[in-house]
Amino acid sequence: MSDDVHALIGAWVLDAVEDDERRRIEAHVLQCESCAREAAELREAVARLSDTVVAEPPPELRDRVLAGARGTRQDPAAAPRRPRPARRTRWRHPKLRLAIGAAALAVVAAFAGVFATWQVMRAPDEDGSQMTAVLEAPDANVAVQDAEGGGRVTVVYSAELDRAVVVVSGLADIGEDRSYQVWLVDAAGQVSAGVMDPGDSSATMLLDGLGDTEVVGLTSEPAGGSDQPTTPMIADLALPA
Amino acid sequence: MSAVVDTVSAESLLLRAGQGEDEAFAELYDLMAPRAYGICLRVLRDRAQAEEVAQEVLIEVWRTAARFDAQRGSALAWITTIAHRRAVDRVRSSQAAGDRERRAAAEADFTMDPVADAAARRIEHRQVRRCLKALTELQHRAVTLAYYGGYTYQQVAGLLDAAVPTVKSRIRDGLVKLRDCLEASR
Repeated sequence: MSDDVHALIGAWVLDAVEDDERRRIEAHVLQCESCAREAAELREAVARLSDTVVAEPPPELRDRVLAGARGTRQDPAAAPRRPRPARRTRWRHPKLRLAIGAAALAVVAAFAGVFATWQVMRAPDEDGSQMTAVLEAPDANVAVQDAEGGGRVTVVYSAELDRAVVVVSGLADIGEDRSYQVWLVDAAGQVSAGVMDPGDSSATMLLDGLGDTEVVGLTSEPAGGSDQPTTPMIADLALPA
Repeated sequence: MSAVVDTVSAESLLLRAGQGEDEAFAELYDLMAPRAYGICLRVLRDRAQAEEVAQEVLIEVWRTAARFDAQRGSALAWITTIAHRRAVDRVRSSQAAGDRERRAAAEADFTMDPVADAAARRIEHRQVRRCLKALTELQHRAVTLAYYGGYTYQQVAGLLDAAVPTVKSRIRDGLVKLRDCLEASR
């Protein structure tokens, strides 16, 4: 896939790609320093294409923009590849993992058209019910991807709830000295969404506060996880819109 | 109106806007709004929509200014990227202009009105046009349709009756050539 993505860098800097391609390219560029450099250089050239279209806006636009800005709170600076401590990751104990995993797979089946026919095993605690809420949300959408090396990643996402359930199952065995780690990728970078227990190849997690996240990614890291991905993504799912 | 952006001051104004200085943002507006609006107008071909989208763009510039990193690119690229992305999103969702009209407009020469004509005399403007002319015809048309028309590369391939992989690589080659040409004439 990466050759394919790489060839799209030109089209991407021109915004001449479809949304799902855009997400894939952005995820790729974040991991590929030479791609990021090339994209930045091309972007400067593309910016110059605007030299020929400069046009005087209507004068009243100025007041509206300045008033709008006064009423708009600024985003904080992107802390250099920030960890987001507010995002708590809740890995489920094995039994519940299994239950929710099955439910998520049922959701996948449900998108074939029988949404109401499956039942989610009610989990006893708050996380469990939040997961259930995501899986049952009317706007829930599902993305499924086979991970490189084996296994599968399923993301059930509700834009309304701003939450997602990620089900990782049957990944390749990585041994006790490594952990699989889930990442949230947006235009500004990637943050860890959670680190699986060393050696584990299946898990289910609830993500909240997804904000501008475009891609959910998965890498293999030294046990306990890393601040930034140190290996290529073995799965990268565009959040199902 | 200026086709020439003083890049040093655009950067410092954007950085200061990122610190919450609204005077700096007002100055940045004066410097960059004609560009943001111009991009929207070119892509959307509709003054009311261009104005609406340009307003969103410029407020987004204010909102995200603190994330601007001068190490990673110019203020010009930062702002025009937001403007172009928003304009393209809008044109794709609304399909405001008929496709044929959009296509014709995207490829039209840039001297349709006296204002553009005046701008055409400016040296930077001439530079871009000269560099665009250095592209092969297919590179030129593909880049132009994508940027000014807001088309995807697949749509461009359809419009030009060319193979999709060919268009994909011509766009990239064309941009590389454009970059080299603009750098050489600096």
